[in-house]
Amino acid sequence: MSERQKFNVIGKSVKRSDMLEKVTGAARYAGDLTLPGMLHGKLKRCEIAHANIKRIDTSKALALAGVKAVLTHKDVPHVLHYGSPHPRSASVTKDQYILDTKVRYWGEAVAAVAATTEDIADEAIRLIEVEYEALPAAITLDDAMAAGAPVIHDNGLEGNRVVPDMLFKRGDVEKGFAEADIIIEGNYAVGRPQPAYMEPNVCVAQWDGSDKLTLWTSTQSAFMVRGTLAEVLGLPLGKVRVLCDHMGGGFGAKQDLFQHEFLCALLSRQTRRPVRMEYSRKECFLGGRSRHPGTIWLKQGFKRDGTITARAAKVVFDSGAYGSHAPGVTAVGASALTSLFRCENVHLEGKCVYTNTPIAGAFRGYGVVQTYYALDIQIDEAAEKLGMDPAELKLKTAVREGDIAPSGHAIVGHGLEDCIREGMKAVGWKERPVGCGSAAYRTVSPADGAVRADALPHPTSKKVRGWGIGCEMHGSSAYPGIKEQGNALVNLNEDGSATLLTGAAGLGTGAHTALCQIVAEELGLEFEAVSVVHGDTDIVPWDIGAFASHTTYMVGTAAKMAAAEIKQKLLARAADQLEVSAGDLEVEGGFIGVRGVPGRGISVRDCVAPKLGIPAAHLFGSGTYMPTKSYSFGAHFVEVEVDTGTGQIDVLQVVPVHEIGKVIHPIAAAGQIEGGIQQGIGHTLTENHEIDPKTGRSLNANFVDYKMPLSMDMPDIKTIILETAPDPGGPWGAKGVGEDPIIAIGPAIANAIYDATGVRFRHYPITPEQVLEGLARRRHV
Amino acid sequence: MKRNITTTINGEARELAVETFHSLLDALRNAAGLTGTKKGCDVGDCGACTVILDGAPVCACLVLAAETDGCNVTTIEGLQSAPGSLHPLQESFMMLGGAQCGFCTPGILMMAKALLDENPNPTDDEIRFGIAGNICRCTGYTKIIDAIRDAAVQLRQEAKGGGKS
Amino acid sequence: MRPFDLLQPKTTDEAIALLARHGSRACLLAGGTDLLVEIKEGIRAPDVLIDAKHLPGMRDLVVSSSEGLRFGALVTARELETSPAVKDFYHGLWQALRELGSIQVRNRATVAGNVCRASPSADTLPPLIADGAVVAIMGPAGERHVTLEDFFTGAGKTVLNGDEIVTGFSVPKPLPGTGKCYVKHGRRKAMELATVGVAVTMTMTGDTCSSIRIALGAVAPTPIRARKAEAVLAGKKPDIELIAQCGAIAATETSPISNIRGSADYRRRMVEELVQRAITAAMEAAR
Repeated sequence: MSERQKFNVIGKSVKRSDMLEKVTGAARYAGDLTLPGMLHGKLKRCEIAHANIKRIDTSKALALAGVKAVLTHKDVPHVLHYGSPHPRSASVTKDQYILDTKVRYWGEAVAAVAATTEDIADEAIRLIEVEYEALPAAITLDDAMAAGAPVIHDNGLEGNRVVPDMLFKRGDVEKGFAEADIIIEGNYAVGRPQPAYMEPNVCVAQWDGSDKLTLWTSTQSAFMVRGTLAEVLGLPLGKVRVLCDHMGGGFGAKQDLFQHEFLCALLSRQTRRPVRMEYSRKECFLGGRSRHPGTIWLKQGFKRDGTITARAAKVVFDSGAYGSHAPGVTAVGASALTSLFRCENVHLEGKCVYTNTPIAGAFRGYGVVQTYYALDIQIDEAAEKLGMDPAELKLKTAVREGDIAPSGHAIVGHGLEDCIREGMKAVGWKERPVGCGSAAYRTVSPADGAVRADALPHPTSKKVRGWGIGCEMHGSSAYPGIKEQGNALVNLNEDGSATLLTGAAGLGTGAHTALCQIVAEELGLEFEAVSVVHGDTDIVPWDIGAFASHTTYMVGTAAKMAAAEIKQKLLARAADQLEVSAGDLEVEGGFIGVRGVPGRGISVRDCVAPKLGIPAAHLFGSGTYMPTKSYSFGAHFVEVEVDTGTGQIDVLQVVPVHEIGKVIHPIAAAGQIEGGIQQGIGHTLTENHEIDPKTGRSLNANFVDYKMPLSMDMPDIKTIILETAPDPGGPWGAKGVGEDPIIAIGPAIANAIYDATGVRFRHYPITPEQVLEGLARRRHV
Repeated sequence: MKRNITTTINGEARELAVETFHSLLDALRNAAGLTGTKKGCDVGDCGACTVILDGAPVCACLVLAAETDGCNVTTIEGLQSAPGSLHPLQESFMMLGGAQCGFCTPGILMMAKALLDENPNPTDDEIRFGIAGNICRCTGYTKIIDAIRDAAVQLRQEAKGGGKS
Repeated sequence: MRPFDLLQPKTTDEAIALLARHGSRACLLAGGTDLLVEIKEGIRAPDVLIDAKHLPGMRDLVVSSSEGLRFGALVTARELETSPAVKDFYHGLWQALRELGSIQVRNRATVAGNVCRASPSADTLPPLIADGAVVAIMGPAGERHVTLEDFFTGAGKTVLNGDEIVTGFSVPKPLPGTGKCYVKHGRRKAMELATVGVAVTMTMTGDTCSSIRIALGAVAPTPIRARKAEAVLAGKKPDIELIAQCGAIAATETSPISNIRGSADYRRRMVEELVQRAITAAMEAAR
């Protein structure tokens, strides 16, 4: 506790360093750039799910005034690439070409145009004629896994597998099931939500006189873009510079390289002019990356006291037309089922399958959203059968200190238990009105607003309410799946201010602010004295990218290490100047003081500033951090209202409780949680990128029919953040928070719907129509 | 089909040569060089391009530039009265976490300004109704609503002549 | 956007002449909130837009309990929505206006545009039909009037000739004891296209329903009246059973489609449910 009181900068919601630009409209996003002579690029997309390209006629497009270049598969390097970051890691699959001789999903690009205006480029796209030889398509998982299914990639694996099937085992499941008093088994299904970042994919490419490519692009992983572009275009890294200042959200998906980034670079090289290419909203759906849809078969055995004796699962993910993050998502999603709720005997299979649909990739929650949806709901089902309160069962089985996490590391602290207990207290869980669903543990008679629909004669008040709890845990950083590292450089300037150089991207989470807070805290400076340089691969230290709740945890520790190195040099210099031992010095608020002697000391500025005949000190520090692994935890408590006349579901309130170690910036941390809940409510109730199962065509590539919860749909959220299980690997115990909040909300809602209606849903999204069908079935029983 | 128009943008009469088929959004971003107004969907579904046209908040993507000849347009770049003097909405969005990635922020700020101009003391439900056409994918709206409510208080105090306390 | 020319006539005669000259190559532009989207999405590809916004006499809005409601074709949805008298006397319309897109959209969109676009799911059409609105149309031969109920001939189709312009609307004054309600069904609470829209205008004389008009959106190629359902209640004392019967019969009068927004079966069920709710609310308002 004494440690906590000493903090001057971290733990405070300082004014974020990126905010002034954002509220004045001055912030520059990649698409805001205009360069002299800039051309506009567009992609021609196919309207067929699976076909060989027989012929592409670009002559009419090339003849159009203003068209400067047209590229097809004949004109671009035919190099197989990963389409994703982490080349050579276990997380991604090498199966994409910039443009191929065949198309594998409706909306894949087959040609690119550069013209003097966007309107001309649009017209040119219309003038390109493509003749296809249609191939049988596998749109659904069943199609793709069926005997004799069309082969989407000839990779030597049966059944359209992206990767060989995975198995995660521990203990003896047969024995575990034999010891169980009850066994619950179920099939769960998850939809195809899109990240739907507000800033469409956009980039601007330019080549200079030395044949060096500069690409401004909206990406979460500039160094991965640089590496993959260099590899595919055959350039040394020194000839590719990737820039990204502000970006309008990514949520994981903007880790991938998209077709436009390669093609923009190639169009620019061919025309010797800068080229800008921006996706329309529709293209963000067609050519973007969704969360993996899929199915989860889950079976668990329980003792009467709630102990889980065995867990078996088969997870099948739909990767869409290309692998992207399929191996990583499958491994992380399936192996997550080893944990969260304790079980010694597990047998978990993970499969990932190609289909002729748009590509699934990385999206906040990375495979875990899906599997924990199934797991948490099934624990709720078990609670009812066991006659236990679901929160009590989750508390009883919650992962504890020392348990082995999916990563293979021992869990630090009792974070999940703390979250469940704190949330139960905050919402008055035990005193809550209990809906008409799970009668087994009902102790309170239905109160106002939580009454049975059929008890109400008035047609306008057919609403019932219920509460649900959902749980989650998620690792900070992608380690050990990827042996990533955090890097930071810090310079101390001659006026006593510091500059942090970081490769971490600024998705909008406030990560740069958190990093500056960490540097300021460690160096004893005011927050405002630390500035940040980022988003330029020619300048800043290498970073894998902003994903996997990595930045604050890993880059934060690296930044702290870099600042500590400077601090050591600074105190040594001050010790000389003050003629004391460095060990007697401390620095706070920009002043280096002698411990125990108030007022004696020197300002950081005076310590390093130039004086007559003496140049300024050049103090710098660098930090490289190789992680251990830490987990953050969360429990979401949700109240829903279900209209039994229409099937409409309204989330009334959410109380999310998250344990994330030391909080660096409370408002930014809460903002992550609340935003994650919005996306989670979306995929649970209304968001699903619908693909026509016959043709593979997108049915809702727009913001009217792809329904994200908006201001009027969002409930009150009362965020509670705990710091009870700090991780020694993060700066002052800080852990990640980006992924966590999207995971627990889904099962919490599904469980609350059950509490309200007695209808159990094992899939998302849950539609009003299905609610009515469920209620009708329940009446018949 | 170029047309010369004169539109007062953020208090300055701007003579712009626009195509008849170009939106106000494209004219602002390209012809006028004001890139603070964002294109999130280009069909009026997201509100990222909200500007105030003759006193009314509109989606700049659904207005033809040529239609604004002789009109008054205020964009995010004109929200503050002078450099260094921010609108209370801008202050409260900065301090209360009203923005994350910032892409929807200019549109939400302009919508919020129009809302508070019309209703200086909105309830939370009225704020939610007012920004119903502005998609934010980062915040869950909680902190946006906090920030608008807070700015409304500040603006009412200023209107009373009390200024900021 | 695909190139087009923009013509800005100053008189209605001039506009009508331009429409006649350019024929199907031209589209009339009012608020543009639908038309520009359709052009951007390639659904329409006009060579010429004829901007109606400079035409005279189409911006008047007159509304009172004694005279009823009259408004010109260029009156925006937001102007109507923010009129206290519209809220008081044409409450169903007011509710529907608040459901039409966002405030930003309503500051440009016009009811005339909503009507001429003739989308089966357009929010403002059911309440205007329930209220007995009449459309004023100007053409080469002069002015004619058509009830809104008879204005639509199919999805996206109307009785309007290519060289005619809708100039405004008149809606009868509300009788004493009249209550109105519009209920929209969509997945979200705003920014939705209706899965089902139900408008009810009913007049109560004591406990008796002296007249009722029920109009439904998004359940047929055009907005429709549910006349058989109306007949169940007209002249009767509504109770829960009668209202339920009314809902059930209304559902049989529809011919909905199945699409991504809802199945035909679900739409019928929503008609049954929401007609009951709309009647109940209108009845309460009538008292």
